Amino acid sequence: MSTTTSTLTAGSIPRRADNVEISPRISEDWLSLIVGLLIFILALAGIANIDLLGWTVTTSVWTDLGKALGPVAKSYASLGGAGAILATYVALLVILSVTVFALKSDLKRFALAFTAVFWIAYGSWIVGNYANFAAVTPADLQKFGINWSLKLTNEGGYIFALIAGLIIANFLPRFAETIKAAIRPELYIKIAIVILGGFIAVTAASKLNLASSLLLRGIAAIVEAYLIYWAVVYFVARKWFGFNREWAAPLASGISICGVAASIATGSAIRAKPAIPVLVSSLVVIFAVVEVLILPFLAQTFLWREPLVAGAWIGLAVKTDGAAVAGGGITEALILAKNAAAGIKYQPGWVLATTATVKVFIDIFIGIWAFILGYIWTNHINPTNKDRAKASEIWQRFPKFILGFVATFLAGLYLALGTPAGIAAKVPAAMGEANAFRVIFFILTFFSIGVLSNFRTLWQEGIGKLAAVYVVSLFGFVIWVGLLISWLFFSGIHPPLAS
Amino acid sequence: MSQPNVGEELNKAAVEPLLPIEKKLIGWSLGLGIGLLVILAVVNHLFPVSI
Repeated sequence: MSTTTSTLTAGSIPRRADNVEISPRISEDWLSLIVGLLIFILALAGIANIDLLGWTVTTSVWTDLGKALGPVAKSYASLGGAGAILATYVALLVILSVTVFALKSDLKRFALAFTAVFWIAYGSWIVGNYANFAAVTPADLQKFGINWSLKLTNEGGYIFALIAGLIIANFLPRFAETIKAAIRPELYIKIAIVILGGFIAVTAASKLNLASSLLLRGIAAIVEAYLIYWAVVYFVARKWFGFNREWAAPLASGISICGVAASIATGSAIRAKPAIPVLVSSLVVIFAVVEVLILPFLAQTFLWREPLVAGAWIGLAVKTDGAAVAGGGITEALILAKNAAAGIKYQPGWVLATTATVKVFIDIFIGIWAFILGYIWTNHINPTNKDRAKASEIWQRFPKFILGFVATFLAGLYLALGTPAGIAAKVPAAMGEANAFRVIFFILTFFSIGVLSNFRTLWQEGIGKLAAVYVVSLFGFVIWVGLLISWLFFSGIHPPLAS
Repeated sequence: MSQPNVGEELNKAAVEPLLPIEKKLIGWSLGLGIGLLVILAVVNHLFPVSI
């Protein structure tokens, strides 16, 4: 799922002075798994009463900036907000610098760029937590002494990070170029998803029957994305818009499955020109931005009585992991807030878990689908004896970070359900500390997606016809079929009530 | 990676009519997809979510 786009491609591909690409020591996919697991394991030390991550910064809704920030654990209260954010920045800088070193990228360039990315992105998040933007209930308004609020919830801070990125991409393109070494949305979201596994496990453990039912319903998402969406979008691109096969297949995968990863895997499987999936990926990111700015609010307005339908819908409609999963977070916050205002208090975590489940289920099959397309293309459409698709490509294209998600999910589930009550009781707090990092990686993802979205450059590249296919498919088909399937399989299922 | 102008690339590309294998791929995907969704919907109906 590397979100390489047409405007900032070079940022993620290390090169020598003579512009030759350098092969990294290890893939970004594996690194995201390692970093995610490391954070998860450090958080688990809390079970043994060793708090290794309690200094992580967290933000509260505020009117007094001095009270906005603080460490996630009370045991680190002496650090204060400034100490917590500084400690978080240093820790992330160190751990991500090691990651970037393994990717053979320029360390100094990354460190400088990340410094700017972190402070701007987190600064936007803090602004988004200002009470007039984030406060939701009348009690909150009273508590902060304000008489109006946009009611975006604190998760609305993601949108502020996204907008900050968009401003930089479209009005400060030179600055965007300067910080591109740290614009790595796919790395950030993959780490976040690995951490999310443990958080979802704790949520699922409280209602295991409901969780397993949701997992089974995730299968419908796979069928919809690969067999229904892909076929229709490919037909539309080929028949109505006259695209040739080399363009239509990556485009169909980009719009139907998990945008960026799927279009790149498909492009590679059918031996398309490398630039094609890159351009399709750019388009996917742009549309994901538009969707994230609109769909959560539509879900809040029309689907607030069916929270899990909304969660599944976001997972099916938004086509990058980063935007979809983080969009699920925004949707959850908005819908839970609206329900709370109506006197219904749902347990948090279930809407986000539904979005993540749908997205992860879809991701799992990217390698298999790419192999099927590769087999058809290299055997029937462009038959060749030299470059036929091999079954080993399924594993090569399998998104490895999903192994991390499964590992943290199973470990979290075991700890919450299979250990003595004294240990199990400490798991939610431990996962809460890991979750603070997950939130920060979501913020970095949103900001990075914004910085990658230079609308003018893409338009100049003549992307209009590609965008037309996307508009027709997304708004004419994908969104509505996604809503129908989500309704069919998730309506009437509600998150447990908060105790 | 140098980027092509998409508009120019698309105009240059030769028209490729749908091959029978492509029609088969689209048809089988849709048929299988709709069939599986119907089966899943029936299973969903028979085994409702237990909370």
